[in-house]
Amino acid sequence: MIEKALKGNRSYWIWIAFLIAVIGIGLSAYNQQRWFGLTVTGMGRDISWGLYIAQFTFLVGVAASAVMVVLPYYLHHQKEFAKTVIIGEFMAVSATLMSMLFILADMGRPDRLLNIMLYPSPHSMVFWDLMVLSGYLVMNLVSSWAMLGAERKGAQPPAWVKPLVYLSIPWAFSVHTVTAFLYAGMPGRHLWLTAVLAPRFLASAFAAGTALLILVSLILKRTTGFDTGKEARAKLTVLAAYAGLANIFFLGTEFFTAFYSNVPAYKESLQYLFFGLDGNCQFVPLMWFSLISGVASIGVLLVPKLRNSTKWLVGACSALVLSIWIDKGVGLILGGFVPSPLQEIVEYTPTTTEICVTLGIWSIGILLLTLLLKVFVAVKMANEQ
Amino acid sequence: MMNEQRREFIKKTALGVFAGFGVASGLVPAFSLEKTVLPAWDEKPVPGKIRWGMLIDMRKCKEDCQQCAAVCHHVHNVPDFRNKKDEVKWMWKNPYQNVFPTASQQFVSKEIKDRSCLALCNHCAESPCTKACPTEATFKRWDGIVAMDYHRCIGCRFCMAACPYGSRSFNWQDPRMAIHDPVTTYPTREQGVVEKCNFCSDRLVKGQRPACTEACPEQALTFGDLNDPASDIRQLLETNATMQRKPELGTKPSVFYII
Amino acid sequence: MEVMMTRSKLLWMIAGSALLLLILFSVFRKGEAETVPAPAPRAVAVDSTKCIAPKEFMRANHMRVLYEWRNSSVREGNRVHVASNGSRFEKSLNTCLGCHSNNRMFCFNCHSYANVKPKCWNCHLSPMETP
Repeated sequence: MIEKALKGNRSYWIWIAFLIAVIGIGLSAYNQQRWFGLTVTGMGRDISWGLYIAQFTFLVGVAASAVMVVLPYYLHHQKEFAKTVIIGEFMAVSATLMSMLFILADMGRPDRLLNIMLYPSPHSMVFWDLMVLSGYLVMNLVSSWAMLGAERKGAQPPAWVKPLVYLSIPWAFSVHTVTAFLYAGMPGRHLWLTAVLAPRFLASAFAAGTALLILVSLILKRTTGFDTGKEARAKLTVLAAYAGLANIFFLGTEFFTAFYSNVPAYKESLQYLFFGLDGNCQFVPLMWFSLISGVASIGVLLVPKLRNSTKWLVGACSALVLSIWIDKGVGLILGGFVPSPLQEIVEYTPTTTEICVTLGIWSIGILLLTLLLKVFVAVKMANEQ
Repeated sequence: MMNEQRREFIKKTALGVFAGFGVASGLVPAFSLEKTVLPAWDEKPVPGKIRWGMLIDMRKCKEDCQQCAAVCHHVHNVPDFRNKKDEVKWMWKNPYQNVFPTASQQFVSKEIKDRSCLALCNHCAESPCTKACPTEATFKRWDGIVAMDYHRCIGCRFCMAACPYGSRSFNWQDPRMAIHDPVTTYPTREQGVVEKCNFCSDRLVKGQRPACTEACPEQALTFGDLNDPASDIRQLLETNATMQRKPELGTKPSVFYII
Repeated sequence: MEVMMTRSKLLWMIAGSALLLLILFSVFRKGEAETVPAPAPRAVAVDSTKCIAPKEFMRANHMRVLYEWRNSSVREGNRVHVASNGSRFEKSLNTCLGCHSNNRMFCFNCHSYANVKPKCWNCHLSPMETP
């Protein structure tokens, strides 16, 4: 089936070549990082996680959001999603791969990666996260590939696929919950030390991931002519809007608890992010941009007249993805480190090397997604003829 | 053929050594390995019998004195990169309100407010860092010390995020470049691992006290077994009002302060 | 056309797997290592009877000994090694180098010959670094 990815028009190959070029740049930047150490990044003693872990968090969310099509299609027999469900699963595969690569890029000694398996430590959330992530990757890849293979032959998918898909539904929730637990269990980092973190992660994931899925399906329609259907997109739009609403609601509850209780430790990070702390307001414009674009895009998605226009839909979905990317990446990860345990406020700016590595990993993921979708579209188109 | 290869090899390794530990070979005149002796104890220790702890009497600590930190960093080959981003530190001084941000801050006497307090790893009884570590590279030792196994650390920096005291440092670059006055009695660390105060477990094993307690000209640091009611440290804890850093987090630090 | 495609594909696959096999073979073959003697260290006479185990055993197993020493001493605090003849040693790299650093090339000669790159010297002092 994979050979279908080797046949494409000119713009397909230009796109592939572009991605490979960016991967090359990323690899050379990573090589530099391996040689000189993580000092080439913007991270330091006080802000010890940065862009990489932020991308990881965001992408685990994108991966988990596949459940937004898998669940209605398999459990509730919503036939509109028939053409979207495999796209969702392929997106989950590449997002999971990217998130794992971001962990690898963030490690000081990636050559010792296997130590996590050699000395399994159930008390550590990283151990569980690695388990659920790799399980999720395999599950999605195997089930979607088998489904597509069966479809190509016009046969019924093998009997083991269904149970695997059913298992992947709770698994998707667990993937993002465990990712939230990575942060939510640490004493002294008050922005993270909150029970609402896991629900908020799920809400933002379902909003951003679903919006991204809508965008991908629109790109597919534009570039290949393959249409997943207006009904599917309309349903996804509503899902994204309500998930986004839930995310804003959870953020609101965070604000209430922090500012009404007036406990300094709970207030400080939010204050730093949204209003500035002691004159330091590095992220204030970015956070307000995220909040406003998030609210505005949800507004657009909720008005039927606007969301039915492709232009508005694309704009709103892009704004929602960007908003959550800032909120979850920049805000949540970096904000957790400020102020430091010793009440210091330290700024963080990613370096060029760091950005190149990040773009490289994104390109690896997008390349994988492109190849998978190429196969998918080829199979679908051949069947339709 | 063989000789040529060997010469080439020597040249290469010599270069490597020069790059890696060049500072060392140049600066230290009597450069030999420490003779090993049998440790202060013989058998495998009983876990939980001892719990090492420290009491810092800030009333005695002189404002402009950094002797303890200087000696600590010297005897453990702690690098000094001379920039804040890559900073590695085991022991340092910070203002009172930074070290005790959750302690009472209102109407504190000027004397206390202006005081710099000593900060180091608390060797918590309920340590969040060892819980977060995915490889048990940092672990709770039999004697209460939160130890680092640098052989195992993967450099994920979860322990740094989990530590509520900022006691951990990461080697953002090769530390050997930044050790200005190396000692041969303790190994260095390498690029990509996390390091921190080890309560001088390297000295305890030889029956010595931690270097900082010996270095302090005012005898402000008391080290001892918190599980032994007769120890000096327990006597002092008994007779003085003491504080721990952020006790509300339930980490149960083994470092105590008299303010 | 279709047949041509598959035939050329088959050829490519055969060529590819042949190349892969060749690479694997060249990487994992053992043969020559046994015929060419390892370069003899220019030994400064060291009383090898003082070692923790016979020379032959140490030659084959020193890495396992060091691994076991570092785990039991660092992690369990079990710092004393009792040799088969009853003599006691501290489990420390310095115990080895106490004798073996007489020869600067002691570790490096064989490691370079066998192309193994242990990372001990990233942190510990090597015999090369002791004058």
